[in-house]
Amino acid sequence: MTGSWRRFFKKIGGVLCGITSNGAFCAKGRYQVLQRRLLVILLLIGILPLSVMASLSFIQYRALLREETNSNARMSAESARQTIEAYLQKLTSAIQILSEAYTFQELADPEQLEQVFAKLNQDFFGVVDLSVIGPDGVQQGYSGPFNLVGKNYRNSEWYTRTLARKMYISEVFMGYRHVPHFVIAVGKKMPEGQGHWVLRASIDTEKLDRFMAPIYSEVVTDVFLVNKNGELQNSSRHYGKVNDHFPLPDIPPMRSIRLEEKDGKESTLFAFGHVEHTPWIVVLELRGYSGKVSWDAFKRQVLWLFCVGITLVIILAFRVARHVAMTVRSADDERNAILAQTEHTNKLASVGRLAAGVAHEINNPLAIINEKAGLMKDLLEVTDQFVYKEKFLQQLTSLQGAVDRSRTITHRLLGFARRMDVKFEPVQINDVIHEVLGFLTKEASYHNIEITHDLQADLPPIKSDRGQLQQIFLNIINNGIDAVGKDGDIKISSFLMNPQHLQVDIVDNGPGMSTEVLSKIFEPFFTTKHNNEVQGTGLGLSITYGLVKKLGGEIFVDSAVGSGSTFTLVFPIIADGRGDALQ
Amino acid sequence: MKKTTVMIVDDEADFASTLAERLCLRGYDTHVVTAPADALPMLAEIKPDILLLDLRMPGISGHEILLDVRQLFPEIKVILMTGDLDREQTVDGVTLESFQYVIKPVEIKELMGKMDALRESHD
Repeated sequence: MTGSWRRFFKKIGGVLCGITSNGAFCAKGRYQVLQRRLLVILLLIGILPLSVMASLSFIQYRALLREETNSNARMSAESARQTIEAYLQKLTSAIQILSEAYTFQELADPEQLEQVFAKLNQDFFGVVDLSVIGPDGVQQGYSGPFNLVGKNYRNSEWYTRTLARKMYISEVFMGYRHVPHFVIAVGKKMPEGQGHWVLRASIDTEKLDRFMAPIYSEVVTDVFLVNKNGELQNSSRHYGKVNDHFPLPDIPPMRSIRLEEKDGKESTLFAFGHVEHTPWIVVLELRGYSGKVSWDAFKRQVLWLFCVGITLVIILAFRVARHVAMTVRSADDERNAILAQTEHTNKLASVGRLAAGVAHEINNPLAIINEKAGLMKDLLEVTDQFVYKEKFLQQLTSLQGAVDRSRTITHRLLGFARRMDVKFEPVQINDVIHEVLGFLTKEASYHNIEITHDLQADLPPIKSDRGQLQQIFLNIINNGIDAVGKDGDIKISSFLMNPQHLQVDIVDNGPGMSTEVLSKIFEPFFTTKHNNEVQGTGLGLSITYGLVKKLGGEIFVDSAVGSGSTFTLVFPIIADGRGDALQ
Repeated sequence: MKKTTVMIVDDEADFASTLAERLCLRGYDTHVVTAPADALPMLAEIKPDILLLDLRMPGISGHEILLDVRQLFPEIKVILMTGDLDREQTVDGVTLESFQYVIKPVEIKELMGKMDALRESHD
């Protein structure tokens, strides 16, 4: 009944595994859980701020770089615009001055025009030709590589606009020469008041590239001009030739630079700026960031530092979690061991007190029985012979025998509880072993058990109690004989463990003990001898344990089922009898 | 030789009287006191050679009587009777271990041996 209950509770304990600390397996699992949780927490603590720091600095640095790139783009676009504006302004002024300085008639003279053109060409590069158009829209004078004299411009867009505005810079067009160019034209009233004459300079757009050249850089990958319809005004590197279409997103306001981002494989930035007094918009294409090299280096460094940091954190987290779990575990183990020890000691002490109380109470009636029987015997001895005298005497003798047996038991119980007489004297431990073997060898031979010994000859004497030592060896060897049962060996060896201690090993090849039995064998009233032939009291080994401690020694058992048992006794060579010689 | 006078102080009347009778049969002059309170007056009256004193008694304990005997009648030899002697206990600065004692149940031969030895040492 009790056995099945115990099994039931064990099962419950197994189910609760992980919550309770029942048994070694459960405890192990608990520490693994602890270690895992610690690991997760430590990893979080380590990795989280590291990641936040890395991403923050990443974002911050990128924003800085972008800002720098943007301001670079603005500056480049601004400078491109200003360069072109300055050039056109100067050229326009020059043409205006010419139109003021000369009359229509003077410039219509080819020689005069040739001179003026030569001078203009000297001061301004890119001017292809110079022509004079009369009030009827027909070209009257021309100086340049194309012969365009006599061409009528009355219906040309640029001509009508020039007449309307008195000064005009055209978009790029092919015109009669079939070469892309643009014109700067100035309209001037005829002195006679008969309409306007026009002085016109053509400029090869490709020449404008010279202004663009210094703007190119590592980042600025393309610079070109477009009109409001997105038609290219000069050749671009990436967006085609003159008149090709460029997808212009928005016309930028005057006097400002618009930035437009396009995310492709490589981030691309466009800067747009309106060139004043012209129909043109200067377009800059910027690829990558201005600090691309340092950005890449920064990315590499951050990544590297991050990886190193993470690795360190992981290693540290693993080690710390493991260490903490192990420390907690060993602390728990230590505490459990101390608790078990204390429990054992307490159990011994309370059992001892109980035993002493019982023994004491029994001793009084036992004493009365003893005295009564004694008195009866005394009286019988002085009484004359009668029929049953001998029988009476026999009965009384066995009564006294029973009292003696009871007394032995009560005295053992008392001895279990209290320190019995300990007389410390120099004892040769080998002599004691020999004496004990003297009692037991015959008994062992009945069971076909061979007791052998290997005792170190020159052992120093120990300060101990001979009688108690005998008791100790008697108990352990007897125990071994009972354990082996039949046909086996018991080996006893003694040797100097270290200069301060002697060791005696008692090894049997009996069936051995399970760890459960092993943990209880020194407990009082714990016995495995339940068969009818040998009934154990469960006091033998617990008394032995107490005696060994009292003599300042230590006792250990090592056993496993199927491989016999080894009792190891260690005694101090100089004992003070308080049991702390080994501590 | 004069009979040895023995006084037994024990609250167990059955035990004390039976032991007294057995000692009497063996030629001792025995007196029994079962009430601890009567012990000292009786001691003063009888002045025994040997006092057999039980340590565990209700009311006045054997230890107190022992203390008084040592002071008032130092010439009386004491043998302690006990079920279990606590050797470390002291009376009058002397550990009980240094007193003669027998452990109950008493072996009569052992007791007589001790009494005779005390008697001889006294003489």
